[in-house]
Amino acid sequence: MFKKLIAESAAKSPWVYHINTGSCNGCDIELVAAVTPRFDAERFGVKLAGTPRHADIVVVTGPVTAQSKERLIRTLEQVPEPRVIVAMGSCPNSCNVFKNSYAVEGPLDKYCHVDVTIAGCTPKPEAVLAGIVQAAEILKQKRRDMAK
Amino acid sequence: MSFSFPYLKYALGNLTKKTSCDMYPVVKKEAAAHYRGRIAYDSTKCVNCGMCMKVCSPGAITRTEEPVEGGKQITYRFDLTSCTFCAMCQDFCSEKAITLTGDYEMVGRAEELVTEETYFKAMPAGLPGISDDCVFCGLCAKNCPEEAITVDRPNKSWTVDEDKCIKCGKCVSKCPKKCLSFQMPQVKCGEGCVFCGLCAKNCPEEAITVDRPNKSWTVDTDKCVLCGKCVSKCPKKCLKL
Repeated sequence: MFKKLIAESAAKSPWVYHINTGSCNGCDIELVAAVTPRFDAERFGVKLAGTPRHADIVVVTGPVTAQSKERLIRTLEQVPEPRVIVAMGSCPNSCNVFKNSYAVEGPLDKYCHVDVTIAGCTPKPEAVLAGIVQAAEILKQKRRDMAK
Repeated sequence: MSFSFPYLKYALGNLTKKTSCDMYPVVKKEAAAHYRGRIAYDSTKCVNCGMCMKVCSPGAITRTEEPVEGGKQITYRFDLTSCTFCAMCQDFCSEKAITLTGDYEMVGRAEELVTEETYFKAMPAGLPGISDDCVFCGLCAKNCPEEAITVDRPNKSWTVDEDKCIKCGKCVSKCPKKCLSFQMPQVKCGEGCVFCGLCAKNCPEEAITVDRPNKSWTVDTDKCVLCGKCVSKCPKKCLKL
């Protein structure tokens, strides 16, 4: 009984963990803007988690540089299932203008399955919210599938 | 021990105030003026010059050309997950076929975040060629977007690579001696013309003049880029390249 209660309340508060894999900081700023009271992501129960072990949704920004690749994989391994990975901005999706650079080892979908893509360079905070809402829906579905 | 609540007044006052939050998914918000969002591409305006692909720094624009009878099936694909939304393609598009709209909600699976359109372009039958007036200045080679033309000035030779040439007509319009021309190609108006003027209206370079009362049809070959738009828009199918 408690398990069900916990699962249901957890579904209503998807915590977000943010990884920067060499982003220019534009996307990071817009993600932080999306959790401010003006846009108020906490209406959806979203909170920035301090550690990947507490996270349900992982938002990745940046084109996955050679330096950050190892850290990205290590961090993603710590996120418990079910997890939803959101690729925010053009960089993690395609490496943007850094394509074919010797210092970049992206895009992100080489290393993990990307559930939600937010396009933009950088996306507006509204688009980030729309992405997180969509990610929360996918998370709910994943939880249901896991319970079966 | 005494308690004081210095902010109690404000706390109670704020209870009756409206929220300052934007309430985004419930209340949709317009993007700011000139916001550069989702790319809209109008294939009916495009003349396939390829300038957008050249100025795109992340290489988000790709073109596929499929030869069909009488021309080419041309598809332009704008990958929004690769785009930097710099609007260079919009600025450089001479036909204003590309616009960056205010739609910022580009969320979903990566395969869905694409703007793609296909259109048919009629092609002139011949290749560009030179006449005796040529001074081998090389301006045609310089202006060729596909680097199909090779000019060897010392040896006075001029060649065009048939496979590379996209028949855009840029070399012809840039030739200072007006010695370059397409060997066959020129827009011609045949029998059955009703002088409706649709060809002139659709010409991106305003090269065609139609005088309906006098039943005359003229084309300015210097202006014409042989894009074939007039041919595809002709309702009587009397126009030919």
